[in-house]
Amino acid sequence: MIKIIQQVIDNLNGYGLSVLVLILGVLEFSFGLYKKRWNKNEKFVDIACFVLPKLVIRPAIAFFGLKFLPAVIPALRNEFDWVSFGWGLLIIAIADDLTQYWYHRLHHEIPWLWRFHRTHHSASYMGMAMASRQNALYTLFFSQTYVTTILVYLGLGAPRIIVGAIKSTITTLAHSSIPWDKPFYKYKVLHPVAWVLERLISTPATHHAHHAATTDDGVGYYKGNFGNMFFLWDVIFGTAHISRQYPAAYGISHYEGDPWYAQLLWPIFKSNVAGSELAADGPIVRQDIPIEERELLTIRAVHQNNGEQELVLKEVPAATG
Amino acid sequence: MKIEESVKKRIIRNIFLSLFIYALPILLMFFTFYFTGQRPWLKKTTKVGQVIKP
Repeated sequence: MIKIIQQVIDNLNGYGLSVLVLILGVLEFSFGLYKKRWNKNEKFVDIACFVLPKLVIRPAIAFFGLKFLPAVIPALRNEFDWVSFGWGLLIIAIADDLTQYWYHRLHHEIPWLWRFHRTHHSASYMGMAMASRQNALYTLFFSQTYVTTILVYLGLGAPRIIVGAIKSTITTLAHSSIPWDKPFYKYKVLHPVAWVLERLISTPATHHAHHAATTDDGVGYYKGNFGNMFFLWDVIFGTAHISRQYPAAYGISHYEGDPWYAQLLWPIFKSNVAGSELAADGPIVRQDIPIEERELLTIRAVHQNNGEQELVLKEVPAATG
Repeated sequence: MKIEESVKKRIIRNIFLSLFIYALPILLMFFTFYFTGQRPWLKKTTKVGQVIKP
Protein backbone atom coordinates (compact mmCIF):
# COMPACT_ATOMS: atom_id res chain seq x y z
CA MET A 1 0.00 0.00 0.00
CA ILE A 2 2.78 2.40 1.00
CA LYS A 3 4.54 1.52 -2.25
CA ILE A 4 1.42 2.40 -4.26
CA ILE A 5 1.05 5.75 -2.44
CA GLN A 6 4.74 6.44 -3.05
CA GLN A 7 4.28 5.70 -6.78
CA VAL A 8 1.24 8.02 -6.97
CA ILE A 9 3.21 10.81 -5.29
CA ASP A 10 6.21 10.24 -7.56
CA ASN A 11 4.01 10.47 -10.64
CA LEU A 12 2.19 13.62 -9.55
CA ASN A 13 5.14 15.71 -10.66
CA GLY A 14 5.65 13.67 -13.81
CA TYR A 15 2.72 12.72 -15.99
CA GLY A 16 0.18 13.62 -13.27
CA LEU A 17 0.47 17.33 -13.92
CA SER A 18 0.55 16.84 -17.68
CA VAL A 19 -2.71 14.87 -17.45
CA LEU A 20 -4.29 17.64 -15.36
CA VAL A 21 -3.18 20.30 -17.86
CA LEU A 22 -4.47 18.20 -20.76
CA ILE A 23 -7.88 17.61 -19.15
CA LEU A 24 -8.28 21.28 -18.24
CA GLY A 25 -7.12 22.35 -21.70
CA VAL A 26 -9.66 20.07 -23.41
CA LEU A 27 -12.44 21.34 -21.13
CA GLU A 28 -11.50 24.98 -21.75
CA PHE A 29 -11.60 24.49 -25.51
CA SER A 30 -14.84 22.49 -25.29
CA PHE A 31 -16.50 25.34 -23.38
CA GLY A 32 -15.13 27.89 -25.88
CA LEU A 33 -13.35 29.78 -23.12
CA TYR A 34 -10.66 31.17 -25.44
CA LYS A 35 -13.30 33.08 -27.39
CA LYS A 36 -11.41 32.89 -30.67
CA ARG A 37 -8.56 34.96 -29.24
CA TRP A 38 -6.03 32.16 -29.65
CA ASN A 39 -4.89 33.31 -33.07
CA LYS A 40 -1.90 32.07 -35.07
CA ASN A 41 0.66 34.34 -33.41
CA GLU A 42 -0.55 33.55 -29.90
CA LYS A 43 -0.49 29.82 -30.68
CA PHE A 44 3.15 30.10 -31.72
CA VAL A 45 4.03 32.00 -28.52
CA ASP A 46 2.25 29.52 -26.24
CA ILE A 47 3.57 26.39 -27.93
CA ALA A 48 7.16 27.69 -28.15
CA CYS A 49 7.06 28.70 -24.48
CA PHE A 50 5.70 25.28 -23.53
CA VAL A 51 8.25 23.25 -25.52
CA LEU A 52 11.52 25.16 -25.13
CA PRO A 53 11.84 24.87 -21.34
CA LYS A 54 11.44 21.11 -21.62
CA LEU A 55 14.26 20.90 -24.17
CA VAL A 56 16.71 23.43 -22.73
CA ILE A 57 15.86 24.53 -19.22
CA ARG A 58 15.17 21.14 -17.62
CA PRO A 59 18.61 19.83 -18.67
CA ALA A 60 20.15 23.05 -17.28
CA ILE A 61 18.51 22.46 -13.90
CA ALA A 62 19.49 18.80 -13.97
CA PHE A 63 23.09 19.89 -14.58
CA PHE A 64 22.84 22.29 -11.62
CA GLY A 65 21.60 19.53 -9.30
CA LEU A 66 23.62 16.61 -10.54
CA LYS A 67 26.95 18.21 -11.50
CA PHE A 68 27.30 21.77 -10.19
CA LEU A 69 26.21 21.24 -6.58
CA PRO A 70 28.21 18.00 -6.06
CA ALA A 71 31.29 19.85 -7.35
CA VAL A 72 30.79 22.97 -5.21
CA ILE A 73 29.40 21.55 -1.94
CA PRO A 74 30.14 17.80 -2.03
CA ALA A 75 30.10 17.43 1.76
CA LEU A 76 26.55 18.72 2.09
CA ARG A 77 24.88 16.02 0.02
CA ASN A 78 21.96 14.66 2.11
CA GLU A 79 23.49 16.35 5.14
CA PHE A 80 20.06 17.38 6.39
CA ASP A 81 18.14 14.19 5.62
CA TRP A 82 17.44 13.88 9.35
CA VAL A 83 14.86 16.67 9.01
CA SER A 84 11.48 15.00 9.41
CA PHE A 85 8.99 14.91 6.53
CA GLY A 86 6.65 17.39 8.24
CA TRP A 87 9.30 20.02 8.96
CA GLY A 88 10.75 19.46 5.48
CA LEU A 89 7.33 20.12 3.99
CA LEU A 90 7.03 23.44 5.83
CA ILE A 91 10.61 24.52 5.03
CA ILE A 92 10.30 23.70 1.31
CA ALA A 93 6.80 25.18 0.93
CA ILE A 94 7.94 28.51 2.38
CA ALA A 95 11.35 28.59 0.68
CA ASP A 96 9.93 27.64 -2.73
CA ASP A 97 6.82 29.79 -2.84
CA LEU A 98 8.15 32.88 -1.04
CA THR A 99 11.14 32.93 -3.42
CA GLN A 100 8.79 32.72 -6.40
CA TYR A 101 6.64 35.48 -4.92
CA TRP A 102 9.69 37.75 -4.79
CA TYR A 103 10.92 36.76 -8.25
CA HIS A 104 7.48 37.53 -9.66
CA ARG A 105 6.95 40.75 -7.68
CA LEU A 106 10.34 42.21 -8.58
CA HIS A 107 9.63 41.63 -12.29
CA HIS A 108 6.54 43.79 -11.86
CA GLU A 109 7.91 46.45 -9.54
CA ILE A 110 11.39 46.99 -10.99
CA PRO A 111 10.85 48.58 -14.41
CA TRP A 112 14.06 47.12 -15.88
CA LEU A 113 12.84 43.56 -15.18
CA TRP A 114 9.30 43.96 -16.53
CA ARG A 115 10.08 42.99 -20.14
CA PHE A 116 11.36 39.56 -19.07
CA HIS A 117 7.93 38.81 -17.59
CA ARG A 118 5.79 40.68 -20.12
CA THR A 119 5.20 37.59 -22.29
CA HIS A 120 3.20 35.94 -19.51
CA HIS A 121 0.88 38.96 -19.40
CA SER A 122 0.47 39.64 -23.10
CA ALA A 123 -2.13 36.87 -23.55
CA SER A 124 -5.63 38.29 -23.81
CA TYR A 125 -7.07 35.04 -22.43
CA MET A 126 -6.58 32.82 -19.40
CA GLY A 127 -6.15 29.06 -19.51
CA MET A 128 -3.80 26.14 -19.97
CA ALA A 129 -2.55 27.55 -23.28
CA MET A 130 -0.92 30.53 -21.53
CA ALA A 131 -0.03 28.99 -18.16
CA SER A 132 3.57 28.20 -19.28
CA ARG A 133 3.87 31.29 -21.47
CA GLN A 134 7.09 32.95 -20.31
CA ASN A 135 10.19 34.51 -21.80
CA ALA A 136 12.89 31.80 -21.90
CA LEU A 137 15.30 33.85 -19.77
CA TYR A 138 12.61 34.40 -17.15
CA THR A 139 12.12 30.63 -17.00
CA LEU A 140 15.85 29.89 -17.00
CA PHE A 141 16.43 32.12 -13.97
CA PHE A 142 13.37 30.94 -12.03
CA SER A 143 15.08 31.41 -8.67
CA GLN A 144 12.77 29.09 -6.73
CA THR A 145 13.77 26.17 -8.96
CA TYR A 146 17.38 26.53 -7.87
CA VAL A 147 16.44 27.06 -4.22
CA THR A 148 14.42 23.83 -4.18
CA THR A 149 17.12 21.95 -6.10
CA ILE A 150 19.60 22.97 -3.38
CA LEU A 151 17.18 21.83 -0.65
CA VAL A 152 16.70 18.48 -2.41
CA TYR A 153 20.49 18.11 -2.62
CA LEU A 154 20.68 18.79 1.12
CA GLY A 155 18.30 15.91 1.76
CA LEU A 156 14.72 17.24 1.50
CA GLY A 157 13.77 15.27 -1.60
CA ALA A 158 10.57 13.59 -0.37
CA PRO A 159 8.78 16.73 0.89
CA ARG A 160 9.79 18.51 -2.33
CA ILE A 161 7.73 16.05 -4.38
CA ILE A 162 4.59 16.74 -2.32
CA VAL A 163 5.06 20.51 -2.31
CA GLY A 164 5.74 20.46 -6.06
CA ALA A 165 2.55 18.50 -6.75
CA ILE A 166 0.35 20.73 -4.56
CA LYS A 167 1.91 23.92 -5.89
CA SER A 168 1.59 22.88 -9.54
CA THR A 169 -2.06 21.96 -9.02
CA ILE A 170 -2.92 25.26 -7.31
CA THR A 171 -1.09 27.45 -9.87
CA THR A 172 -2.48 25.48 -12.81
CA LEU A 173 -6.04 25.82 -11.50
CA ALA A 174 -5.49 29.53 -10.75
CA HIS A 175 -4.55 30.13 -14.40
CA SER A 176 -7.40 28.03 -15.77
CA SER A 177 -10.35 29.75 -17.37
CA ILE A 178 -12.58 27.33 -15.45
CA PRO A 179 -13.68 29.32 -12.37
CA TRP A 180 -13.64 26.48 -9.84
CA ASP A 181 -13.91 29.00 -6.99
CA LYS A 182 -17.26 30.46 -8.12
CA PRO A 183 -19.47 28.13 -5.99
CA PHE A 184 -17.61 29.26 -2.88
CA TYR A 185 -18.75 32.85 -3.51
CA LYS A 186 -22.23 31.91 -4.69
CA TYR A 187 -23.47 29.79 -1.77
CA LYS A 188 -23.62 31.52 1.58
CA VAL A 189 -22.85 28.34 3.48
CA LEU A 190 -19.47 28.19 1.72
CA HIS A 191 -18.53 31.83 2.40
CA PRO A 192 -16.36 31.03 5.44
CA VAL A 193 -14.41 28.52 3.32
CA ALA A 194 -14.10 31.13 0.56
CA TRP A 195 -12.78 33.68 3.06
CA VAL A 196 -9.99 31.31 4.10
CA LEU A 197 -9.26 30.02 0.58
CA GLU A 198 -8.91 33.42 -1.07
CA ARG A 199 -6.45 34.54 1.58
CA LEU A 200 -4.45 31.35 1.74
CA ILE A 201 -4.00 30.22 -1.88
CA SER A 202 -4.21 31.68 -5.37
CA THR A 203 -7.71 31.32 -6.77
CA PRO A 204 -8.90 32.01 -10.32
CA ALA A 205 -10.56 35.25 -9.07
CA THR A 206 -7.45 36.70 -7.44
CA HIS A 207 -5.00 35.44 -10.05
CA HIS A 208 -7.18 36.46 -12.97
CA ALA A 209 -7.30 39.94 -11.41
CA HIS A 210 -3.50 39.94 -11.67
CA HIS A 211 -3.79 39.23 -15.41
CA ALA A 212 -6.43 41.91 -16.04
CA ALA A 213 -5.90 44.44 -18.82
CA THR A 214 -6.89 47.27 -16.50
CA THR A 215 -6.15 47.91 -12.85
CA ASP A 216 -7.87 49.85 -10.07
CA ASP A 217 -11.35 49.21 -11.52
CA GLY A 218 -12.35 47.19 -8.47
CA VAL A 219 -11.76 43.87 -10.22
CA GLY A 220 -8.43 43.89 -12.06
CA TYR A 221 -5.20 44.48 -10.16
CA TYR A 222 -1.97 43.75 -11.98
CA LYS A 223 -0.05 45.87 -9.45
CA GLY A 224 -0.38 43.06 -6.92
CA ASN A 225 -1.61 39.49 -6.35
CA PHE A 226 1.86 38.12 -7.05
CA GLY A 227 1.45 34.91 -5.02
CA ASN A 228 1.68 31.58 -6.84
CA MET A 229 0.76 28.76 -4.45
CA PHE A 230 0.15 30.91 -1.37
CA PHE A 231 -1.80 34.15 -1.67
CA LEU A 232 -0.89 34.69 1.97
CA TRP A 233 2.31 36.50 0.93
CA ASP A 234 0.24 39.20 -0.76
CA VAL A 235 -1.87 39.56 2.39
CA ILE A 236 1.23 39.81 4.61
CA PHE A 237 3.12 42.26 2.38
CA GLY A 238 0.15 44.45 1.45
CA THR A 239 0.10 43.58 -2.26
CA ALA A 240 -3.26 41.78 -2.15
CA HIS A 241 -6.46 42.71 -3.89
CA ILE A 242 -9.16 40.19 -3.05
CA SER A 243 -11.83 40.04 -5.71
CA ARG A 244 -14.76 37.69 -6.19
CA GLN A 245 -15.37 38.83 -9.75
CA TYR A 246 -13.47 38.05 -12.93
CA PRO A 247 -11.98 40.75 -15.15
CA ALA A 248 -13.79 41.63 -18.38
CA ALA A 249 -10.52 41.82 -20.32
CA TYR A 250 -7.11 40.21 -19.90
CA GLY A 251 -3.63 41.02 -21.18
CA ILE A 252 -1.78 44.28 -21.75
CA SER A 253 -3.78 47.30 -22.86
CA HIS A 254 -1.25 48.34 -25.55
CA TYR A 255 -0.38 44.85 -26.84
CA GLU A 256 -0.32 44.55 -30.62
CA GLY A 257 0.76 40.95 -31.16
CA ASP A 258 4.56 40.98 -30.88
CA PRO A 259 6.04 38.08 -32.86
CA TRP A 260 6.58 34.81 -31.01
CA TYR A 261 10.38 34.84 -31.31
CA ALA A 262 10.61 38.27 -29.61
CA GLN A 263 8.25 37.20 -26.82
CA LEU A 264 10.17 33.99 -26.28
CA LEU A 265 13.73 35.31 -26.54
CA TRP A 266 13.76 39.05 -25.86
CA PRO A 267 16.33 40.72 -25.61
CA ILE A 268 18.10 38.38 -28.06
CA PHE A 269 15.32 38.94 -30.62
CA LYS A 270 13.42 42.21 -30.75
CA SER A 271 9.85 42.90 -31.81
CA ASN A 272 9.03 44.53 -35.14
CA VAL A 273 5.97 46.23 -33.64
CA ALA A 274 6.70 49.96 -33.47
CA GLY A 275 6.40 51.39 -29.96
CA SER A 276 6.29 47.95 -28.32
CA GLU A 277 8.18 47.42 -25.07
CA LEU A 278 9.98 44.58 -26.87
CA ALA A 279 10.98 46.70 -29.89
CA ALA A 280 14.62 47.79 -30.27
CA ASP A 281 13.76 51.42 -29.55
CA GLY A 282 10.68 50.71 -27.43
CA PRO A 283 10.03 52.08 -23.95
CA ILE A 284 11.04 50.06 -20.87
CA VAL A 285 7.49 50.31 -19.55
CA ARG A 286 4.75 51.70 -21.72
CA GLN A 287 1.89 53.55 -20.08
CA ASP A 288 -1.55 51.95 -20.12
CA ILE A 289 -3.91 53.25 -22.72
CA PRO A 290 -7.64 53.93 -22.32
CA ILE A 291 -9.87 50.98 -23.07
CA GLU A 292 -11.46 52.53 -26.18
CA GLU A 293 -8.06 52.89 -27.84
CA ARG A 294 -7.22 49.34 -26.77
CA GLU A 295 -10.20 48.09 -28.74
CA LEU A 296 -8.76 49.62 -31.89
CA LEU A 297 -5.36 48.03 -31.24
CA THR A 298 -6.94 44.62 -30.68
CA ILE A 299 -8.89 44.89 -33.91
CA ARG A 300 -5.77 45.94 -35.82
CA ALA A 301 -3.66 43.11 -34.32
CA VAL A 302 -6.27 40.49 -35.09
CA HIS A 303 -6.78 41.88 -38.56
CA GLN A 304 -3.04 41.56 -39.19
CA ASN A 305 -2.98 38.00 -37.94
CA ASN A 306 -5.92 36.19 -39.42
CA GLY A 307 -8.79 38.49 -40.16
CA GLU A 308 -11.02 37.44 -37.28
CA GLN A 309 -11.91 41.09 -36.89
CA GLU A 310 -15.62 40.62 -36.69
CA LEU A 311 -15.50 37.98 -33.97
CA VAL A 312 -13.25 40.01 -31.69
CA LEU A 313 -15.26 43.16 -32.22
CA LYS A 314 -18.15 41.45 -30.53
CA GLU A 315 -16.12 40.14 -27.61
CA VAL A 316 -13.94 43.04 -26.53
CA PRO A 317 -15.92 44.91 -23.89
CA ALA A 318 -16.64 48.60 -24.40
CA ALA A 319 -15.47 49.44 -20.90
CA THR A 320 -14.34 47.58 -17.83
CA GLY A 321 -14.89 50.20 -15.15
CA MET B 1 12.47 54.68 -16.12
CA LYS B 2 13.23 54.61 -12.40
CA ILE B 3 11.56 52.66 -9.64
CA GLU B 4 9.16 54.74 -7.53
CA GLU B 5 10.59 55.70 -4.13
CA SER B 6 7.55 54.40 -2.21
CA VAL B 7 7.76 51.05 -4.01
CA LYS B 8 11.48 50.84 -3.28
CA LYS B 9 10.91 51.48 0.44
CA ARG B 10 8.15 48.87 0.59
CA ILE B 11 10.37 46.28 -1.11
CA ILE B 12 13.21 46.86 1.39
CA ARG B 13 10.81 46.70 4.35
CA ASN B 14 9.19 43.52 3.04
CA ILE B 15 12.54 41.83 2.37
CA PHE B 16 13.43 42.05 6.07
CA LEU B 17 10.08 40.53 6.98
CA SER B 18 10.67 37.79 4.39
CA LEU B 19 14.01 36.85 5.91
CA PHE B 20 12.20 36.25 9.19
CA ILE B 21 9.52 34.16 7.42
CA TYR B 22 12.22 32.06 5.68
CA ALA B 23 13.86 31.37 9.05
CA LEU B 24 10.58 30.75 10.90
CA PRO B 25 10.11 27.00 10.16
CA ILE B 26 13.75 26.30 11.00
CA LEU B 27 13.53 28.28 14.24
CA LEU B 28 10.29 26.51 15.15
CA MET B 29 11.86 23.13 14.43
CA PHE B 30 14.83 23.77 16.75
CA PHE B 31 12.48 25.31 19.33
CA THR B 32 10.57 22.00 19.33
CA PHE B 33 13.82 20.00 19.61
CA TYR B 34 14.86 22.16 22.56
CA PHE B 35 11.70 21.35 24.50
CA THR B 36 11.29 17.71 23.49
CA GLY B 37 14.97 16.85 23.78
CA GLN B 38 15.01 15.32 20.30
CA ARG B 39 18.38 15.22 18.53
CA PRO B 40 17.64 13.64 15.13
CA TRP B 41 21.02 14.65 13.64
CA LEU B 42 22.79 12.44 16.21
CA LYS B 43 20.95 9.36 14.90
CA LYS B 44 22.31 10.14 11.48
CA THR B 45 25.92 10.22 12.81
CA THR B 46 25.44 6.82 14.50
CA LYS B 47 24.12 5.31 11.28
CA VAL B 48 27.15 6.55 9.34
CA GLY B 49 29.47 5.14 12.03
CA GLN B 50 27.83 1.72 11.82
CA VAL B 51 28.31 1.58 8.07
CA ILE B 52 31.99 2.41 8.32
CA LYS B 53 32.71 -0.39 10.86
CA PRO B 54 34.09 -3.55 9.22
